[in-house]
Amino acid sequence: MPVLFSSRRDGADGQVLDLYTAIKDGVLGGGVGFGGGFAEKLDLKKMIEELNLCEIPSVFICPISLEPMEDPVTLCTGQTYERSNILKWFSLGHFTCPTTMQELWDDSITPNNTLQKLIHTWFSQMYFQMKKRSEDVQGMTSEILDTLKTVKGRARVQSLKNLRELVTTHVIVRKTVVDKGGVSLLSSLLGPYTSHAIGSEVVSILVHLNLDSSSRLNLMQPAKISLIVDMLNEGSIETKINCTRLIGLLMEETNFQVEIVSSHSLLVALMRLVKDKRHPSGSLHGLSLIKSICAHEQVRSLIVSTGAVPQLVELLPSLKHDCLELALFILDDLSTVNEGKQALSDCSSTIPNMVRVLMRVSESCTQHALSILWSICKLSPQECSLVAVDVGLAAKLLLVIQSGCDPSLKQQSAELLKLCSLNYSDSIFFSKCKLTRTIQ
Amino acid sequence: MGLLCSRHKRGNQATTEENDQAAEIERRIEQETKAEKHIRKLLLLGAGESGKSTIFKQIKLLFQTGFDERELQSYISVIHANVYQTIKILHDGAKELALSEAGSSKYELSVDNKEIGEKLSDIGGRLDYPRLTEELVQDILKVWRDPAIQETYTRGNELQVPDCADYFMENLQRLSEANYIPTKEDVLHARVRTTGVVETQFSPVGENKKSGEVYRLYDVGGQRNERRKWIHLFDGVTAVIFCAAISEYDQTLFEDENRNRIMETKELFEWVLKQKCFEKTSFMLFLNKFDIFEKKVSKVPLNVCEWFKDYQPVSTGKQEVEHAYEFVKKKFEELYYQNVTCDHQDRVFKIYRTTALDQKLVKKTFKLVDETLRRRNLFEAGLL
Repeated sequence: MPVLFSSRRDGADGQVLDLYTAIKDGVLGGGVGFGGGFAEKLDLKKMIEELNLCEIPSVFICPISLEPMEDPVTLCTGQTYERSNILKWFSLGHFTCPTTMQELWDDSITPNNTLQKLIHTWFSQMYFQMKKRSEDVQGMTSEILDTLKTVKGRARVQSLKNLRELVTTHVIVRKTVVDKGGVSLLSSLLGPYTSHAIGSEVVSILVHLNLDSSSRLNLMQPAKISLIVDMLNEGSIETKINCTRLIGLLMEETNFQVEIVSSHSLLVALMRLVKDKRHPSGSLHGLSLIKSICAHEQVRSLIVSTGAVPQLVELLPSLKHDCLELALFILDDLSTVNEGKQALSDCSSTIPNMVRVLMRVSESCTQHALSILWSICKLSPQECSLVAVDVGLAAKLLLVIQSGCDPSLKQQSAELLKLCSLNYSDSIFFSKCKLTRTIQ
Repeated sequence: MGLLCSRHKRGNQATTEENDQAAEIERRIEQETKAEKHIRKLLLLGAGESGKSTIFKQIKLLFQTGFDERELQSYISVIHANVYQTIKILHDGAKELALSEAGSSKYELSVDNKEIGEKLSDIGGRLDYPRLTEELVQDILKVWRDPAIQETYTRGNELQVPDCADYFMENLQRLSEANYIPTKEDVLHARVRTTGVVETQFSPVGENKKSGEVYRLYDVGGQRNERRKWIHLFDGVTAVIFCAAISEYDQTLFEDENRNRIMETKELFEWVLKQKCFEKTSFMLFLNKFDIFEKKVSKVPLNVCEWFKDYQPVSTGKQEVEHAYEFVKKKFEELYYQNVTCDHQDRVFKIYRTTALDQKLVKKTFKLVDETLRRRNLFEAGLL
């Protein structure tokens, strides 16, 4: 039997309804405090949707759909369900009570008005509280935005910190900031003479907001981008990640001009972020941005000239799955330009590291590794195939061919295998493949 | 020093007093060496007339007691000298141009002004300049306002007309007054070729009012013959502030009239970057004289300089100025990264847009430099 017993003070204790607060807040009648009339006018369905609460008292939940009930009806067994759900259950030909499994001796369904009123009142109260809270928070946000227009120096940094707190904890604040023109205000704070203290706070706020096209274009001004790149180079790890994310957001703009990201300092800073072993989350963001930049062909030779290729190749063994995929994607893109091909073949660890990746992680990783091996083997087939076969490439290729991969991969593996085998006599080649007698 | 070297006891003749003295001096040297370690050495480098000394003066004005009356008065002769030098260069320049363009009379001074011009040129060639009197001022103004001279001035980039020419000519009346005391602005515009090394020590007071950082700034001469004195200063430098005047893309060197100034700056920057002693030094590149650059860009295209020959203008007005500036900045950035090896991976490199004559801007810029150096310090101490 469900029992009402007092537990925690906030009525959202998942188990039952808190009797104490229920009476105090007028849920069990009275309506003093916030007015029962107010509650009536609101549509229950709308409230439930807007609130989107995770912890609803279990007595309000329909056992069939596990959703809060809007029109609860009770069966003769005493169990209560949402009307539409139980009717559907009956229409499927069942005449049992879903929870007790008893056969129903009476097919009448009684609307449970009491429960319905309770549910309505409870949700109304929650809704009212939420609205009040969000008004408070929205009020605070407006205040901060106004303050920002006037203060300078340390007070400005403090206001920005407060705003950042609000933006990260309350989703509604983000909309408020945008609506009150906060985005252009924040952008105006970024300039060639902005200190890192202010700049890093501004970026950490902007990253959470929905930036429209004109805001993004505004942020793409060279002086602002220079500042963001600077902070990427020198800030704390959080700042670096925020700056990376912000640039990523800006790149999504349709009128994005590639010159903005074809900057040595940016690429060097990103590589530094990627290589920082202390912060793997930084590596992930850094690699994502480099991948987005790599998508633009014009920047590829610049990326290669910053020495990114050997650095990425050396990093491969230490990367986890998602970072590894990104890194390989980037190297694959870079292998499409001549400088990239050259850099890949100049680096001695390329072939061993690529071979290691084959068939070990995921199909896309294998695909990229194969593509890279193909590029460099075509460049200098003699030397590459020697090295490659020595580190066990042939065995791996056979594995690919025999596996359930995409046919195009198998095709590419076969061609690569042919290329490598050109330098060996059959017997030596087989031994190099480390094949067992059975496969032979 | 002698006392320290002879530490071995000279038998009974070594008195305790002498030993005490020796110990005292040693202790003081140790203290000073320790104190020295906290002083950050900043080096102002750059080609001639790039603005190093102006930055130096600004630092004195911002973080020290500024110039006292005696110092201000000492600048009077410098300023007057600048006036004479300017008018001489323009007059002689006009004569040269008149010869090379024999057909036109653009560079021919009017008959009256010719005589005055010769007289002034004569004065300007002496080692000692007379003080500016009312009469001389009138003469100078007559020559300055002569259309031939104005025409010559538009081709000032081919001659060695100093950047302060305009400013001083406009204020000529004031400069010649009997009880003239130069203002801060006047001092900042005054031009003296630095020779040797000048240093100053200062402590910028931050917002938290706690200073702590002590900087020692060294200013050097930029002309070629001065550069061999630079190497003596290269040890233990925290940061190099390299000044490059971006407005001089159409000008030639004082020491070599066939060499473009920007090309010289480019080579010099590369040379400085390669120095082994600067492996761990932070580099602050000041792209200076932005105010002159702003005005010049719309009249003289950047492509006249070989390094900038691939420049394509995209718009006009302010936007174009910004675009041109970004282009120049990118060129310097490229240059930096071309000269960077893996030893230099961690080196700090930042570019600042400056107008050394604007005190507010220099203050803001220096605040950023200070912030960067402090953060660098924390980073090196492993705290960041």
